[in-house]
Amino acid sequence: MSAFLDARTLPANTVLTPDIAIIGGGPAGISLALALAETKLNILLLESGGLNFDPRIQKMYSGAATGVPYAALDAGRLRYLGGGTNHWGGWCRPMDAIDFETRDWVPHSGWPFSRKEIEPYYARAQNLVEAGPWIYDRSGDAEAGAKGAVLPLGKGGLYTSWFQFSKMRGDVLPTQFGHRYADDLKRARNITPLLHANVTAIRLAPDAGHVDRLDAATLGASGGAGKRFTVKPRYTVLACGGMENVRLLLASNDVMSAGLGNQNGMVGRFFADNPIPRDVATLVSFTGSLAPFYGSNLTLDNGAILRATFAPSAAFCRAKKVAGSLSTVEQAVDLDETGTAAVVTTAIALGVDASGARAYSLGCGMELMPDPDRRLTLTGEKDALGLPRLRLHMTLADEDFARFRLTLVELGRQLLAGKAGLLRINCSRRDEWLKNMDWGHHHLGTTRMHNDPRLGVVDANCQVHGVPNLYIAGSGVFPSYSASNPTLNLVALTLRLADHLKKVVA
Amino acid sequence: MRRRTLIAGLGAAAAAVAAGLYRFTDLFVKHYAPTPWDDVLAKLEDREEAAKLGAAMHDAPDAAALAARLRPVLGKQSLAAAALADIGAGRMTEADGWVLPESIALLSALAAKAGG
Repeated sequence: MSAFLDARTLPANTVLTPDIAIIGGGPAGISLALALAETKLNILLLESGGLNFDPRIQKMYSGAATGVPYAALDAGRLRYLGGGTNHWGGWCRPMDAIDFETRDWVPHSGWPFSRKEIEPYYARAQNLVEAGPWIYDRSGDAEAGAKGAVLPLGKGGLYTSWFQFSKMRGDVLPTQFGHRYADDLKRARNITPLLHANVTAIRLAPDAGHVDRLDAATLGASGGAGKRFTVKPRYTVLACGGMENVRLLLASNDVMSAGLGNQNGMVGRFFADNPIPRDVATLVSFTGSLAPFYGSNLTLDNGAILRATFAPSAAFCRAKKVAGSLSTVEQAVDLDETGTAAVVTTAIALGVDASGARAYSLGCGMELMPDPDRRLTLTGEKDALGLPRLRLHMTLADEDFARFRLTLVELGRQLLAGKAGLLRINCSRRDEWLKNMDWGHHHLGTTRMHNDPRLGVVDANCQVHGVPNLYIAGSGVFPSYSASNPTLNLVALTLRLADHLKKVVA
Repeated sequence: MRRRTLIAGLGAAAAAVAAGLYRFTDLFVKHYAPTPWDDVLAKLEDREEAAKLGAAMHDAPDAAALAARLRPVLGKQSLAAAALADIGAGRMTEADGWVLPESIALLSALAAKAGG
């Protein structure tokens, strides 16, 4: 068993020569390293932070923002081993087949391959995120239905879908990759996890044909750079997250002046997240109480943790030209006079007993339309190690809300068709949507995948176009996004990358 | 004999009072002034609640136009049948954000315009 190395203890001017350098010890980096464990490849996993939160290190994430109000750039990420999984909610759901398709109503949409390409990796990804037996849409209704009634939606465009959750440890948090897999990383003879190791530049060979070396440094006690060292890997995988990958690529501009991989100005464009507007609708259940898997998580006997959500079908998305969305019940709410009148009048008309009716607020995770102007760029301000900080220009189109509204109208129609309840849409104007806006902190799309180098940063194998020994792992490569939370999906995609690297590097 | 007559008389008087209260006050059931649209409004079991809902439909056309739209729909079928047909056909209307079958929404708007 090898231990974690601390880069601060390396001799000055050390040069490390792994087969593969993985930059970033979050879910992508750790999944990749574990997938390459026990191969003949010498893997170096470089993590900027240590085993626990350090505000000095975290501060390197801070940046600027313009446009639509968004979370601070250092708020949705964590810069220590495990990365974002140190504060994630554990929500898991595989992307739908339609999420991979080119949808003519979603500009710039479409992956270079279908969902079938990553399906073989979902089972292992599910194991890594510890979300229990694979249930989701295949048997969710049957599994959860034994624990309570699923709302009988009438035939239509939405269906009851299921989130699963990463294993909760007590009442604390789901699987935190750093803590959970620390021993596995130490145990693997071919993996060297190096903590407190910040890559400050990716240096290309003078002909820009391949990555020659990585400049790295530790954070000194006084706040500036501590020790500097060099990594000369055969292959490099950027796995720092959808924001930090962009920063490193754009800042590595000594050979390619626009930034590494940015010959077509695509690096940092198409940033996306899943907006989570709260209280977007009020759902009335004519019968009153909802089954426990609506407003909270339900643990099944087999250990799976489920929560119901309302998802649009592919056919509905095509017919109505809407994007992905996953609407979930939040909490019980009171009805005003108009709401009571709506329930009474409608229930009488439909011949339904609504004397025990209860109302609940609905929240939603939305898929945004890709927008090249929703973009990360560099600022003139630099962090403690001299790397330029990021600026995010955030946009949010009214059209995104308008499309989601169509989905809510259909949900309301189906509740009536099933004589199950009634729906009020609480948001119409932009300010109403933005009033209770939350974010998934899912950093997507900034190094998007496309077969055409003019339209993407990486190819279908996650290789940076034009740089054969540089790859990117994580949700930054998603060219279009889905409403599903990305962690399970990015882990599956990373496992596919591992298989590719095994062939290429060997 | 006098006692029996007295009881019968009191009973008759109580019945008359109750009938009067029922007919001429809103104590037992709300009464509405006659309107040209009563044939349509008769489809509502609870006109008062419907009027509260309909009051939220600020963009609804005037009562005559509402009745003209509703008569062909409700003339041949119950409100329940019309509502289910709307739901099946996707004819939905919003009232204060509530997603409603068009027939229920328009009838509620008519109830509001017809006055309490």
